[in-house]
Amino acid sequence: MSLSAKLSRLQGQAGNAAPLSPRSDSDLHQRLARIERRRPSAIRHDPDQATRDETLARALKGYPIGDGLIQISRRIPLEGSMGQFPLSLLTQPTKLPGERTQTHRRQVYFDTETSGLSGGSGTLAFLVGMACVEDDAIRVTQYMITRFAAEGAMLDAFALALNGEDRLVSYNGKSYDLPLLRTRYRMQRRSDHLQTLPHLDLLHPVRRLFSSRWPDCRLITLEQRLLGLHRHNDLPGSAAPEAWFDFLRSGNRARLIRVAEHNRQDLLSLAMAHAALTQAINQPLRHGADIVALARWLADSDKKAAYDLLKQQQRLPPGGKALLGRLAKGFAEWELAQQIWEELAQRGCRDAAEQLAKYHEHVSKDLEIAQYYCKQLPADEERQRRLDRIENKLFHRTIQPELRA
Amino acid sequence: MNSPVPSMSTASQAKTLDPADHLAAKLRSKYRQRITGELLLPASEGDYRPLPDDLDPRLVDALRQRGIDRLYSHQAAAWRSLSEGRHTVVVTPTASGKTLCYNLPVLQAALQTQAKALYLFPTKALAQDQVAELIALNQAAELGVRAFTFDGDTPGDARKAVRTRGDIVVSNPDMLHQGILPHHTKWAQFFESLRYVVIDEMHSYRGVFGSHVANVMRRLRRICRFYGSDPLFILCSATIANPQQLATQLIGEDVEAVTESGAPQGAKQLLLWNPPVVNPDLGIRASARSQTTRITKLALAEDLKSIVFAQSRLMVEVLTKYLKECFDRDPRRPARVAAYRGGYLPSERRDMERRLRQGKLDCVVSTSALELGVDIGALDLCVLNGYPGTIAATWQRLGRAGRRRRTALGVLVASSLPLDQYIIRNPDFFLGASPEQARIDADQLLILLDHVRCAAFELPFKDGERFGGEPLSELLAYLEKHGILHRERDEWHWMSDSYPANSVSLRSVAEGNFVVVDTTGGDKRVIAEVDYSSAAMTIYEGAIYMVQSAPYQVERLDWEGRKAFVTSTRADYYTDAVDYTRLKILDTFEAHKHHRHAVAQGEVHLVKRITGYKKIRYYSHENVGYGKIELPDQEMHTSAVWWQINPEAMEQAFPARQIALDGFLGAGHAMHIVATVRMLSEPRDIGKAVGDGNARWFATVDAGGRGELRGCDEEAVDPEHLDRFTPTLFLYDNYPGGIGLSAPLCEIRDTITEEARRLLTECGCTQGCPGCIGPILASDESRGYSPKQAALQVLALLSRDES
Repeated sequence: MSLSAKLSRLQGQAGNAAPLSPRSDSDLHQRLARIERRRPSAIRHDPDQATRDETLARALKGYPIGDGLIQISRRIPLEGSMGQFPLSLLTQPTKLPGERTQTHRRQVYFDTETSGLSGGSGTLAFLVGMACVEDDAIRVTQYMITRFAAEGAMLDAFALALNGEDRLVSYNGKSYDLPLLRTRYRMQRRSDHLQTLPHLDLLHPVRRLFSSRWPDCRLITLEQRLLGLHRHNDLPGSAAPEAWFDFLRSGNRARLIRVAEHNRQDLLSLAMAHAALTQAINQPLRHGADIVALARWLADSDKKAAYDLLKQQQRLPPGGKALLGRLAKGFAEWELAQQIWEELAQRGCRDAAEQLAKYHEHVSKDLEIAQYYCKQLPADEERQRRLDRIENKLFHRTIQPELRA
Repeated sequence: MNSPVPSMSTASQAKTLDPADHLAAKLRSKYRQRITGELLLPASEGDYRPLPDDLDPRLVDALRQRGIDRLYSHQAAAWRSLSEGRHTVVVTPTASGKTLCYNLPVLQAALQTQAKALYLFPTKALAQDQVAELIALNQAAELGVRAFTFDGDTPGDARKAVRTRGDIVVSNPDMLHQGILPHHTKWAQFFESLRYVVIDEMHSYRGVFGSHVANVMRRLRRICRFYGSDPLFILCSATIANPQQLATQLIGEDVEAVTESGAPQGAKQLLLWNPPVVNPDLGIRASARSQTTRITKLALAEDLKSIVFAQSRLMVEVLTKYLKECFDRDPRRPARVAAYRGGYLPSERRDMERRLRQGKLDCVVSTSALELGVDIGALDLCVLNGYPGTIAATWQRLGRAGRRRRTALGVLVASSLPLDQYIIRNPDFFLGASPEQARIDADQLLILLDHVRCAAFELPFKDGERFGGEPLSELLAYLEKHGILHRERDEWHWMSDSYPANSVSLRSVAEGNFVVVDTTGGDKRVIAEVDYSSAAMTIYEGAIYMVQSAPYQVERLDWEGRKAFVTSTRADYYTDAVDYTRLKILDTFEAHKHHRHAVAQGEVHLVKRITGYKKIRYYSHENVGYGKIELPDQEMHTSAVWWQINPEAMEQAFPARQIALDGFLGAGHAMHIVATVRMLSEPRDIGKAVGDGNARWFATVDAGGRGELRGCDEEAVDPEHLDRFTPTLFLYDNYPGGIGLSAPLCEIRDTITEEARRLLTECGCTQGCPGCIGPILASDESRGYSPKQAALQVLALLSRDES
């Protein structure tokens, strides 16, 4: 019996719930054809290969720049709008809290489409897209491979398109796209310069500002909630691997073209999200951002801005009040701080009671009130020390003068 | 029964002062009837060598700090073999300093060339121990070599540091398979300078697990080649019959074997102990537990340090309780007895190991957790409560007791299980047997295919590349046909949106293991995992499933979802599935024809239908009820050995076909026991069946304990009505595709029948019992003939000397 017949038999008995093949029997014809094609004479020089690539390149409105490597370039003028924002917003400088204004570095938005979503050395990017804002346009460049052998050339092309002064901007690129690309540079025995470039992953600031407001922080959610953009007829990113495999197997272009469109839209959304995020930081209420989270973020680098932001708010959740109280204390705005703490302490906030105990002991010197708040604190060593100290001070201030008298 | 080895008595009298000898003499005089065999291994002196000249001075310093200024001969031999660039396997007894065999070259390479090493241990606990040991040696002389564990417990933020900064990474094969190799680019620096791969406890890599591990090694070496390294392998093993062969199969290269231990060793005595018969009518013996406590109590009373091995966690707790009730009644005094098993916190276990080493504990009761190389210091007595299942594991455990200058005593106490009884009643076999062969079949097709998939994911295959013994191009073409690989010019690329290593478990052949979910008290808790291949026989609805000796009843089996829902129960019975196994011979690889019988080995197709189960009461083995099972048929292609008797010889020997049939079933039971022992396998690795070889009928045991024939439609068939009656006894490899058990089974075919005959003749029962031909009923006198006699007759016809 042949090895393959044995294998089919054994596979059926080993409890594989799902058959190995993801495809149906209707593909049998194609499968047989493929088995024929892989005979040595047929694979060396596939006359169809070059034609197939050229047809694909034309359909993508791109051009081959190497064996099995297609480059697609688009220059999109910054006219009109995308969702609720004018495209011209992209020319405005972006600035997130804690950053210096980004002027000297070119920002390179990038996104990949991969052959699998589970990671590991066997997953590769078959499409790498990048976008840069120029004076009055955004330039999108995509590199797509039509066979495994072209991967090295694609990685070289991408490396060449970057320069040492660039800053990478991605969505979830820190944990997904970048490690994957670094793996591929390694597999193709190429040095990888990506790690030396600064990298901003917008997923993290977006999570900071919106995770309490949105059901999730996927790019598609961001488009709908922040940009006001609704995609039509979009091929979901999860369909990308099959689309590429399908092209490799059978030359089927239709879905692969949609993957390129999807990637291009991702890049535009990414650039726009960056600009919109700058807007949302300046006008958080208007864009539905989490004010308290923003204030916390601002407070890391600019306490005054955080303080001003919170003070303007009519209503704040307890977490926001506590932060405002701490900031007010920092700016010695005692009246506001005391007012907030009293409100919080009434609701049983331990931290506020402690702040009040400290405030009355050290600032207002109203020791009886300090003693009152101190007694509300849970019994521990620290509270005992504080209480002893306050009572000691009370003794010196009240009883001792009487004794002397 | 065997008489004691003559040299014994004189030897023990000569050293009356030695406490272990004293205890042995006492046991021997008081319980002579219970001791079925003995062995004395004389003491041996240490064989030393100076520290090698080329040993790095920093290491010399570190060793001196720890009081070591010379090596045992085997450590020096390993050093020499490795410095000549040969893969090396070291086979020496427990506590003979084998860790130094690999730590020395590894540390030397790390110090002198910043080379890296990968240590693989079968369990996580052992990995932790090794790191502790390395850190100690490292600190002794501030060597600055960094050793880290990398396993499922390593936190995400620490992993990067392990990958980039570790000189020695300590892990296990499962982690290498699923966590390291598929992400090899992250480990690029590590693989580039990988110099040594250490595989300790090599003997645990046998059967299915070993076959997988051999393929993981193929993948590891392939990745190393990609990064331009070619590491040397250092393997360490407990005593098995074929260490060099196993090592060679595991790593796919020639390996030098170092087998002479230079470590000094005190004398050892071993007693084989069968509990006394308490009910002669039913052949019931006293429990092993009662004997184990008795022996251990005597030892504790004489201030000997003891270790007791039990087969389950529950038994560990029970034995500990009994012993503590005797010796730890005063809570003000430090405890003398402690239990050690999985499930305790690592810190508790470390503490217990330390107390043992310092001699503060007098007795530890353990599961197999202490069988492997955890350092517990010197002990006088080792009691095995039940046969551990293999000869190698038995010696491994007995080896935990041993002292440099004094005698150590080991006692193997048999339980009532057939395997135990076989071992204990055949002391010559056990004492004389060389340890078992550890077998693997690295080219088992399904296992190989799994790893070809994993390897293709890690690096594309190139035309002309080799991986395993089967033609790789055919395997690749098969995977391409199923759309998993894509061929492009001379390369085969992974083309599937999945991560293949996740669906391949190193501990089984088939995908799709079942999980056992405990629903007692409302919550759901996964308590065990069951192989696909054994699920149908063990977790059907109504089955009693044992986890750590605690019985659970299966309430519901979700076959598609691969889940069995169980609740805790107090049943006093266990369940045994009734299966109708039909075998059809497809292809004969080898045939041995004799005058009256024939034996052959080849490929078979097997259909197993599980129709119901028996409830069998503990101890008495009575049948107390039946249940029905509805499950899909199990089909399997595998290999088997089968025995047939020529029809005329059979007609002559048996007055009725029914008697012959009962004889075949009884002989099959005994031959299965023997085959399991001889092949160093778990009882479920080998299946047994009686049929006609063409799947026209098969035999099963009916409710009355008699054999009966069933046709394809499961209808009962009267054997007298068949025109041709050629019962065939099959022992088959119980894994899809086989894991290479049937060829070696065929080699020992004569031993199997001879040993089975001896088992029956020497068994004390009259009509048959679970220890020989399988359970029979008390009412069996009504049969009019002895099923045991019939089995003996069949075995006589199947034996060579009778042909």
